[in-house]
Amino acid sequence: MKFLINPNQFNKFSNIIFKPILILTIVLLILGLLYALLLSPEDYQQGSTVRIMYIHVPSAWLSLFIFFIMTIYSIIGLSFKIPFSFIVNSAVTPIGASFTLICIITGSMWGKPMWGTWWVWDARLTSVAILLFLYLIIMFLKNSLANTSAGEKITAILIIVGSINLPIIKFSVDWWNTLHQPASISKISSPSIDLSMLIPLLIMTIAFTLMGLVIAIIRIKAEILERKHR
Amino acid sequence: MHIFKSITALFIREFQITYRNFTDILSILLFFLLGVIIFVFAIGPNKEIFDEINVSIIWTLILLSNALSIKKYFQDDFDDNSIVLFHISGISYEIIVIIKIISIWIFIQIPFTLIIPLSYILLNLDFNNIKIFYISFLIGSSIIACITSISSSMNLLNKKNFAIGSLIIMIFSIPVIIFSVNLNYISEEIVTAQIKILIGIMFLFFAITPWVSAFCIKLGLQNK
Repeated sequence: MKFLINPNQFNKFSNIIFKPILILTIVLLILGLLYALLLSPEDYQQGSTVRIMYIHVPSAWLSLFIFFIMTIYSIIGLSFKIPFSFIVNSAVTPIGASFTLICIITGSMWGKPMWGTWWVWDARLTSVAILLFLYLIIMFLKNSLANTSAGEKITAILIIVGSINLPIIKFSVDWWNTLHQPASISKISSPSIDLSMLIPLLIMTIAFTLMGLVIAIIRIKAEILERKHR
Repeated sequence: MHIFKSITALFIREFQITYRNFTDILSILLFFLLGVIIFVFAIGPNKEIFDEINVSIIWTLILLSNALSIKKYFQDDFDDNSIVLFHISGISYEIIVIIKIISIWIFIQIPFTLIIPLSYILLNLDFNNIKIFYISFLIGSSIIACITSISSSMNLLNKKNFAIGSLIIMIFSIPVIIFSVNLNYISEEIVTAQIKILIGIMFLFFAITPWVSAFCIKLGLQNK
């Protein structure tokens, strides 16, 4: 597991796994998109718009997952003084921000025909918007602190303090009575979604996660190279 | 007893510095009043709209005027290195942070309690509800003071981007704004529940602020 904290090991390991993951991503993405956009059934109420879900849900999941990874790496990096964790943080922050933006845009495109409005100040939507702002503030703070080695530690503190938003996003649909629907696939034993929709959703989720991983590997390698030449 | 002596000395120094720059605090208060007047002009003479949003206006402007006080926390002491002198005299950075928060809370938030009735008059508010507003203000302003301290210590090394400190304050004070404003509009049965939530947030920030701020100050001093 050393590749998770050591830049050289990470380079070696990522050279081995990069191509298989890339091919798997492309295959799964094509398969998932075909299944989701053509073969999966229409919803009896929502019609074809339900297919936005296959983009919306995976990007929402990734936006939370990336912040979670950043939090864990910040804690590890501050407590064990591992500089690689700050490389990971600065590499994946823009990825998380763009997935959050995709989630918000697809969500409002879905909300317009279903709820009749692009945006409501509902608990889930508001907390996701705060997540996007947090991502942006983290990026700005890192850029505006001139001394990078102190800047990335201070940014890590901001990430840890900001991670209080994650459980709020996750449980906002259960704690408050919101317009956004509760989670459908969190209950593994009896998901409240039909199998013909669940399978493409899972394929798309795996494909999006792998896509995020591919971009993260490229960005982390670039970041390592940049720091070597500084 | 040595440490109590240095803590008292630090308190007295803070008060003296703030007292000599009293126009600073007056400007922050004036910003608050002018903000209320700007809001009044922006909305127009429609009285029904005022009755719905008056408390929200006051709370928004309290938040914005607190964001102006961000440089008063650690920046000057950090720039002329006097914060290192406090540390050498036996006070840990955590206690310096606590002293700073208390002294700035006294010198910035207490004047606000004097000027809030004036904004109540300007916005035609009912004075019977001012007790609840003061309760929410005393709790919420201490939370905002903690958040400002965190943001200020994070931006010690930041010479380029002034606005980012205010952004950090605003994004973390969203729950404070939600619960404090809500307190003035809900029915009396659930007021205590909301106050308890606010007090919970306050203790959370009391717990983390000294450590977070002190850690950021140490990082800043190491990389100065």
